Amino acid sequence: MTCEPNRVRLLCMLSLTFAFFIVEVVVSRMTSSLSMLSDSFHMLSDVIALVVALVAVRFAEKTHATDKNTFGWIRAEVMGALVNGLFLTALCFTIVLEAVERFTEPHEIETPLVVAGVGAAGLLINLLGLCLFRGHAGGGHGHSHGGHSHGNKNKRGKTGKSQKAGNGSSGEETNNLVASHNSPGDARPRNEISSTDSADVQMNGSPHFEEMEHDAASQLNMRGVFLHVLGDALGSVIVVVNSLIFTFVWQPCGKEEMCVNPCINSHISDHQHVNHTLVNLLEGTTMSAMKYAGPCWVLYLDPTLCIIMVCILLYTTYPLLKESALILLQTVPKQINMNRLNQRLLGLEGVLAIHELHIWQLAGSRIIATAHIKCHDPTSYMEVAKRIKDFFHDEGIHATTIQPEFVTFNSESRDSLCELSCRTQCAPKLCCGSADKPNAGSDKKASSYCKAASASGLEVIVETPEQAAGVEAGTRSEAAITVAREVESSL
Amino acid sequence: MLPLSVKDDEYKPAKFNLLLKLSGWFRSILADKTSRNLFFFLCLNLSFAFVELSYGIWSNSLGLISDSFHMFFDCTALLAGLAASVISRWRSNDSFSYGYVRAEVLAGFVNGLFLIFTAFFIFSEGVERALEPPDVHHDRLLPVSVAGLLVNLVGIFVSSHGHSHSLFNGSVNHGHAHGGHEPESKHGGHGHSHDGHAGHGHSHDGHAGHGHSHDGNGGHGDSHSHGESVLLHIIADTLGSVGVIISALLMQKYDLMIADPICSMLISLLIGVSVVPLLRESIGILMQRTPPSLDQALPECYQRVQQLQGVYNLQDPHFWTLCTDVYIGTIKLLVAPDADRRWILSQTHNVFTQAGVRQLYVQIDTAAM
Repeated sequence: MTCEPNRVRLLCMLSLTFAFFIVEVVVSRMTSSLSMLSDSFHMLSDVIALVVALVAVRFAEKTHATDKNTFGWIRAEVMGALVNGLFLTALCFTIVLEAVERFTEPHEIETPLVVAGVGAAGLLINLLGLCLFRGHAGGGHGHSHGGHSHGNKNKRGKTGKSQKAGNGSSGEETNNLVASHNSPGDARPRNEISSTDSADVQMNGSPHFEEMEHDAASQLNMRGVFLHVLGDALGSVIVVVNSLIFTFVWQPCGKEEMCVNPCINSHISDHQHVNHTLVNLLEGTTMSAMKYAGPCWVLYLDPTLCIIMVCILLYTTYPLLKESALILLQTVPKQINMNRLNQRLLGLEGVLAIHELHIWQLAGSRIIATAHIKCHDPTSYMEVAKRIKDFFHDEGIHATTIQPEFVTFNSESRDSLCELSCRTQCAPKLCCGSADKPNAGSDKKASSYCKAASASGLEVIVETPEQAAGVEAGTRSEAAITVAREVESSL
Repeated sequence: MLPLSVKDDEYKPAKFNLLLKLSGWFRSILADKTSRNLFFFLCLNLSFAFVELSYGIWSNSLGLISDSFHMFFDCTALLAGLAASVISRWRSNDSFSYGYVRAEVLAGFVNGLFLIFTAFFIFSEGVERALEPPDVHHDRLLPVSVAGLLVNLVGIFVSSHGHSHSLFNGSVNHGHAHGGHEPESKHGGHGHSHDGHAGHGHSHDGHAGHGHSHDGNGGHGDSHSHGESVLLHIIADTLGSVGVIISALLMQKYDLMIADPICSMLISLLIGVSVVPLLRESIGILMQRTPPSLDQALPECYQRVQQLQGVYNLQDPHFWTLCTDVYIGTIKLLVAPDADRRWILSQTHNVFTQAGVRQLYVQIDTAAM
């Protein structure tokens, strides 16, 4: 399966990171360095992010419908991406917290060389991870995986617009990696080049459709992992840079010599004593015996770099969060224009009116649409249905459910108020519009039934008289529906 | 005919009046009971955090400063819940055909996740402290923990009265987590400033409220019954606060410093465990799972629909929850060519309306003869 490379990558990275976490904990115990311990917890959070992504990939492989999950588990990857994005945001917050602490109470690194060594090892591992996941971040940018990328490019060609937004932000990430600390503004011209490159490679053929859906969804997940590993890599870079500067620039206070550390505002009780000594020495002529600990700005380098890193991370995580949250909020996919779709549907032969058109994205490129279509009579319905299905297929929506409603020219009874879709419970929640046009014929039983159900404790929408009447032209029905919507909204 | 009057203001484009928008949001927050409570709690938390911050800066205590940052973090969780309550009432538009009602579910999920992060964070802090015990000043710990217990009891009453449908009551309890804190100042340190042992106690106590909020949603017909889960949560919460008090006593009497990290680790485990039902429910909704309350009712409905005259088969049923108590379903029916489609449609809708699914899309396919 196409997901195998993903899983193998994730497992690889997971085992590496976990091993490194163990190493860091052991080293921190041996050198009793607290910063190493807290860095190891960062590694642990990386492990957790990878586990989340792995679980999501594992679940999303089961695309078949189960009893409880009729859509399968495809959404798991979107959830995995959201969880990873949120996790990153929470981590950024804790990093900011620690940085602020360091600002107010700076302290020096005890054994900078050991820290530098471990930091370099961590950086190596993270760079390896970045290379592993780089292909995914760029949306199949890497050419290293044969059939996998074929499916990717195919998808890009077919639903080019849908991936453009995804491409834009993920292209930024690869540019971030390549040009390591360039500002994202610089990356924009290269962005354009990368997207036209990929659009040029147009392969056709739709047999890879399932792979396409899967790839599109799993890309979101892998992007989350990539961002996490990127954050960790940046952290390791900061650790290495800081400890190197510390080794070469900082002159520490040795224990035997009499020296004072002017940078650290310690609360120890011999503060007064030190002050006195300082004052005495300053008054004295011989200053050579006194040593001062190294330049103070070195101590503030660490938190400053951390805050810069947090800004970079937040900037790159925001698109991921936004995209996955929008999918979970049942938004209409970006490439679909509801108005235009509506008008084109109305333009189809045999379609009188459309109600309750809902289009939403399950995951990746799998889009689901539902609608009520009003047409003349059951005999013409079959052709109309076929036309509508083809229309949706052209738009890229392959899972549609169309409910037919038939128009008759008999007089409709007034009391058939609540009809095929009594959505009375929605009124206070504002999740939907008004009910449909009433249906004809043998609805006396239906309406009384409906009324009984609605009388049992739910609020009933009072329909506007126009709707109860029955046969209307499409435009008028739309107007009535929008009027009812306006009435219901409380804002 | 010449116009008799010219009304220019009809043709002015709508100005983006920020003040108007804000007051509109304000009104909608105050309208609903739950969001009103949430808003007051947010104000309480924010003021507490500011007081702590200023006190910490004034007394130059790192512990207080970082604890106030934690409270700000909790306030963001509360803010997320509040934002969700405003957003979910917006009208549906072209980009959101169902409206924004899912925002509540998402906010509940996000709050549950943040609770888990907090639990993880407290756990890691506990581990760090166990390995390298810092100097904990426990003089004021006991009265502070008792005060925290009282504050959280208030929170329980507050959230138990608001029977909301929203899942974001979890955020109320998250807010409890660091509320009513009064951390001691720390000396010397490696900057592990979260004194808040009392804080850990609080973060656990908040969950009784969580239990109530969960039952407010229990209209879904959860597997737990109402009384049972409430009892469970209350027991867990009292255990948590008793644990804090016991460890405070241990430290005072026997100088057993290890009690502090062990207590916080236990509490973080309890938080994690108690937030699991909330997470499961919101994950189920976000994954488009069949609504749990319909699990028994749906097969019967399928039976009844298949027994209608002219219906051969029912295919492809998909039922999912949009937000609490709003279910949406799509099914496909295979019918005979001479069947009365209108009648089948209305009957199917009736069957499912009885089950509680009001938005239903029935596609009718004619079987090829």
